Amino acid sequence: MTRPSDTSSLAMDRRAFIKVSALLGGGLLVGTYLRSGPDSAFAEPAPAADFTPNAFISIAPNGTVTIIAPNSEMGQGIKTSLPMIVAEELDVAWEKVVIVQGDLNPAYGRQMSVGSGSTVGNFTALRRAGATARAMLIAAAAQTWGAPASECTTEKSVVVHAASRRRASYGELATKAATMPTPADVPLKDTNDFKLLGTRVPGVDNAKIVKGESLFGIDVRLPGMVYATYTKCPVFGGSVASANLDEVKSRLGVRDAFVLDNIPGLPSGVAIVADSTWNAFSATRALKVKWNEGAVVSQNSAEMAKQAEQLAKGTPPDALPADSTRVEAAYHYPFLAHATLEPQNCTALFKNGVMEMWTPTQMPAVGQGLVTRALGLAPKDVVVHITRLGGGFGRRGSNEFSIEAAAIAKRLDGIPVKVMWMREQDFAHDNYRSNGWHFFTAGLDRAGKVVALHDAFVKMQGGPGDMSASGFPFTAIPGSKVASSKLPAGIPTGYWRAPGDNGNTWATQSFVDELAHAADRDPKAYTLDLLDAVPASARGFDRAKMKTVINLATEKAGWGRSRPRGEGQGLAITHTNNAYVAIVADVTVSRAGDLAITRLVAAIDCGTVINLSAAEAQVQGAMLDGISAAWFQKILIERGAAEQTNFNDYPMLRMAKVPPVVDVQFVKSSAPPTGLGEPGLPAAAPAVCNAIFAATGKRVRTLPIMDTDLKWA
Amino acid sequence: MSKYSLRVNGQTHSVDVASDTPMLWVLRDALGLVGTKYGCGIGECGACTIHVDGKPVRGCQTPVSKVGTAAITTIEGLDAGAKHPLQQAWCELDVPQCGYCQAGQIMTAAALLKSTPHPTDTDIDREMDQNLCRCASYVRIRAGIKRAAEIAGGAPSLKGGSQ
Repeated sequence: MTRPSDTSSLAMDRRAFIKVSALLGGGLLVGTYLRSGPDSAFAEPAPAADFTPNAFISIAPNGTVTIIAPNSEMGQGIKTSLPMIVAEELDVAWEKVVIVQGDLNPAYGRQMSVGSGSTVGNFTALRRAGATARAMLIAAAAQTWGAPASECTTEKSVVVHAASRRRASYGELATKAATMPTPADVPLKDTNDFKLLGTRVPGVDNAKIVKGESLFGIDVRLPGMVYATYTKCPVFGGSVASANLDEVKSRLGVRDAFVLDNIPGLPSGVAIVADSTWNAFSATRALKVKWNEGAVVSQNSAEMAKQAEQLAKGTPPDALPADSTRVEAAYHYPFLAHATLEPQNCTALFKNGVMEMWTPTQMPAVGQGLVTRALGLAPKDVVVHITRLGGGFGRRGSNEFSIEAAAIAKRLDGIPVKVMWMREQDFAHDNYRSNGWHFFTAGLDRAGKVVALHDAFVKMQGGPGDMSASGFPFTAIPGSKVASSKLPAGIPTGYWRAPGDNGNTWATQSFVDELAHAADRDPKAYTLDLLDAVPASARGFDRAKMKTVINLATEKAGWGRSRPRGEGQGLAITHTNNAYVAIVADVTVSRAGDLAITRLVAAIDCGTVINLSAAEAQVQGAMLDGISAAWFQKILIERGAAEQTNFNDYPMLRMAKVPPVVDVQFVKSSAPPTGLGEPGLPAAAPAVCNAIFAATGKRVRTLPIMDTDLKWA
Repeated sequence: MSKYSLRVNGQTHSVDVASDTPMLWVLRDALGLVGTKYGCGIGECGACTIHVDGKPVRGCQTPVSKVGTAAITTIEGLDAGAKHPLQQAWCELDVPQCGYCQAGQIMTAAALLKSTPHPTDTDIDREMDQNLCRCASYVRIRAGIKRAAEIAGGAPSLKGGSQ
């Protein structure tokens, strides 16, 4: 809601970036160029006319279609959904398609999985690639048969000429197709004719996952591999003064222990190399380090709260219009860890001057860049293999684990090493979701209409999550203002699923609900009225689409029915990654204050749905992820370090608290797809908090929810 | 280091490891069975769930020295053809997202189905509460267990297992 997408970045490039060549040994190779995503923080310029393809489709003479998926798979489903787009236009039997994970390769250009952008940025390019290959296969058949290409059709990997009842498989035609001229502007299918897109296609790696096959970074095993940990100062920015290295080196299975310092991009720390993960972990527990803690040791969460309040006082609201009623509320959300279930890790081998790495990363090129700068290697001498990721959520872009592994591997010259973070280290050295404070002041006129809105907003210096008045509800209120202040830097913050929106939408959507109740209005009707006040010119925001999802979600959830005390329904909306989402939560709260979420209904307009199965899973998972964080989680800073260390003090949603019903409704659309990995998250927590208010009259203004006593009488 | 003879997935293996090494790391580092995952090391997340004599335990909380001659089953040995009803149901309903926790989920669910072939929602909530899924694929894990119970009861498996 706070980052309306720039529609110009969604405009589809009409140029077809396609290069066709023959496969060695016969067959057709189609190369195209995939963009990394629409998020302005990551967007790269469009490729030049002499572009290098970064994704490939090959059709072998035996009919096998291979599609290289260049982006990282972390559960968002793109290793399945991107190839589906090609297969749709190519008109190939899905069962015959083989998907291969591409490594970081200069030939693939930039590869990133961020900003829910993999599908958005590449939808048209992939369609064109598939359609171009199909047109060339048809051209090859037409030439062979002496039939007009316009009379030829395709069905599941076969070109058909109905009039002469001739058929030829893609495999038979592939080699000849590679010699056909590449058509400049092939027509794409009418979206109503999609056969594969919009259906449920299971993930291509499922069979391997359920068998426990090696897929993830942590699973990499190399002959002669050793295992390492890297221990950094718990206080951010601190460095090693001294350590009991001799004692550590004398421990069972330990091969070496040493301090790494003064390597660009790598925090000072102690490396311990052992013959097994367990022996490395045991030695790490016996490690005693004297740290130079540095300046950040003075930071703590309680002090930050006081500072935030002071900063907000420095940006007071203007005087409210005469005769208006003042409504004020302060909201706070804490730091969050990513807590990917696969802790950070990286495997590296330095041999003959080349650093070869196996990395679970969302941004392999960033890792390569960090390693080249840290160790003075040429980019061509840093080879990155992308593994599957045991969860990403924004954590695996920063790639500091890449430098750690590479620095240790360089020292071990010739011996492969896996650097494994202990869970406690993963919590202690995250790039956290920034904490944030919203001090809202609104004025309501006699009819309950908002006539003034001021948000004094405070977060950490640096990282994503800034607020502006360019999103809803600010756009609905002329003269509304967001005044931002920053706490001093020190605690590292970074991208966390739905950056900015993941906390700010909770605050703004909770406050809109407060205003509705202050005006004695139904929150749904109040929101619809506010949407009517958004100027039609508001950039990149289609209020009609938002109304559609609100009406759909509330209809499915039976909105408006009266409920006994202790039961309540809440509504919240978000416009994230250009998708429109409305969520209705049903909760019960016992007199003792025990919260249960009994149903979630989401309605979403995300344009064309590529893979219904993955899309539904993403929205269900994102809603529950948002609720898990909002209900239970906080990272507190004490003496410049994170207090929470593991899942015992950083709880996560578990099965017994998962709502019995989690319903996802997609608005039917033929518009290009929007992002979908993140939009399901931001509105879930405020929907639940608004439902809690409806049930109990208690307003949750500080996260996590479990810190608020919900007891009622 | 100490030598141990272990029965894993029906085969006998000799390993030479520190006596306090948890089975999680014996399986992963010494035997190369990487399906069993490290998530927390304190028995909170369930990603390392294995069966010892048919009972689900946390591999990270089970030192090799305590295992003796017990039969250990990992995700790799759950079913000879990898066609356990849960494995079929997981593919059919497209349960995994990132997939990291799923071996542990399946091992916990397999023990549940053995003791309770037709689990209720309450049974599922109670048993599966031990396993975390960071992607929150819980809705489909629930559905997957119910579907597996149907498959085990003779219902035909549908599509989803191919790729």
